[in-house]
Amino acid sequence: MLELRSVMVDIAGAPVLRGVSMTLPPGGRVALIGRNGAGKTTTLRALMGLLALRGGRVLIGGEDATSVPAHHRPRLGIGYAPEERRLFGQFSVRQNLLLPVEVLGLPRTEIARRLEAVFTFLPELATLADRRAAGLSGGQGKMVALGRALMVGTRAVLLDEPFQGLAPALALRYAEALRGLHASFPDVALLVTESNPQLLTPLVDSTYVIERGEIAHDTALGAPA
Amino acid sequence: MGDWLEQNGALLGLALLDGIASAALIFMVAVGLNLVFGVLRVLNVAHGSLFAIGAYAAASIGLFAASAGLPGWASLLALLLAAMLVGLVLGPLIEQLLLRRVYGEEPVLQLLVTFALFMILEDAQKLVWGVQPVSFSVPVSLMGTVDVPFGTDVIPYNTYQVVLLPAVAVVTLVGLALFLRRTLTGRVILAVTTDREAATAMGIDARRVYLLTFTFGAMLAALGGALSTPTASLVPGIGASTIVLSFAVVATAGLGQIEGAALTALMIGIGRSVAVTFAPELEVVVPYIIMVAVLLVRPQGLFGVVETRRV
Repeated sequence: MLELRSVMVDIAGAPVLRGVSMTLPPGGRVALIGRNGAGKTTTLRALMGLLALRGGRVLIGGEDATSVPAHHRPRLGIGYAPEERRLFGQFSVRQNLLLPVEVLGLPRTEIARRLEAVFTFLPELATLADRRAAGLSGGQGKMVALGRALMVGTRAVLLDEPFQGLAPALALRYAEALRGLHASFPDVALLVTESNPQLLTPLVDSTYVIERGEIAHDTALGAPA
Repeated sequence: MGDWLEQNGALLGLALLDGIASAALIFMVAVGLNLVFGVLRVLNVAHGSLFAIGAYAAASIGLFAASAGLPGWASLLALLLAAMLVGLVLGPLIEQLLLRRVYGEEPVLQLLVTFALFMILEDAQKLVWGVQPVSFSVPVSLMGTVDVPFGTDVIPYNTYQVVLLPAVAVVTLVGLALFLRRTLTGRVILAVTTDREAATAMGIDARRVYLLTFTFGAMLAALGGALSTPTASLVPGIGASTIVLSFAVVATAGLGQIEGAALTALMIGIGRSVAVTFAPELEVVVPYIIMVAVLLVRPQGLFGVVETRRV
């Protein structure tokens, strides 16, 4: 579904990704593990087209999407929940969820269907729907960001460090949601980043480890390369 | 105090009405400047030139309409037409040819570029309309005067300035607030203002939003100018004095604040007209005294919020 081929990215003149290659198969669940500063966020931003590549290619659904502008990538069925939630604080939770699909200009019935699916999957969002996003707790915000990614992410969702800063109880709830993702949205591939490898291994099929901008291990669950 | 009011009541009333009328115009310009800065993050020094060109264009179109024998009410349409024309032509031209190249650059560079544009437009305006005063006051005489009661006095004031201008400003304020909160395009603009990258990741084409916002802001500045035309004769330099006043309004209100800009425009408009009436030597400094006093106490502006760290 998503593929990076030898992707190189510089930020402010310094190389941050140095030839990253990885594959997210359709409906697959992949973790990208690495320390702070290893290049996890940059990898996801490169996938979303938010950064210029110095080299390499990005493939979406098998087709070269390297030159597809960032704002067209959600249209290809990719949802993205950035680090730090990045919700629009002055909007309600519902408006945050609806924004990406309204921008796509989807028909009303399809929008309603997707919202319903997200509310069924994350029932807490239905209760929060009319709250302003600025007033949410960190954990609630992460849930909304996940829901928002699922609204457009019909083929893949990219979650950047969703467990970062979550209280233990909320982290458990979030992990439970991720476990249920495959059952509720079987076609949606999941790419999730994390610094702690233990946290994700039960939730994914395969793991990539990134170190200093390079993929250090490319493993099937737990087994060293 | 009582004696003073009795002697100067009518004068004070007149100053307040003057203040309200000029606040309406300052608001139109400041709100566009604010909107453009909020979305594009470029402080557009040439915003005042759009005001000036809007004003001159309104005079030309209005005079043409009058010489073509069109009825008086057409003069009001001429003002509107001029504003739309200037905004729709110059807005996209400036955004596409110039601003697009400096997004994300150092603020100093952006300021220099828009300042250069301001100089160019100022000269272009002299080239087209010359340096002799131009005036077109049909709308003011068309609308006549209205008696405004003030304490024991009754002040006759022209309807155009004391009714139409504030009404347009209020409609702009309310319309803009509704547009931003209730329509998808409005929410898209707010999303880009809040977080450009997150908005892009939601499928929003930020560049299109920039173009739209700048064109709209240019139209508001030109409308401010067009509406000012019937109340004063146009001379070179109106662009500069307008931009300086609207900078004062925007800084005092806090960047990105629309409702705040309206209140601040009133404060500064009235402050200035009271000064003109009672202490003319202070006219020029009063807006800045208000600005400095506010910024000393609240550096983020009266209504501004301290920006949260993003990373």
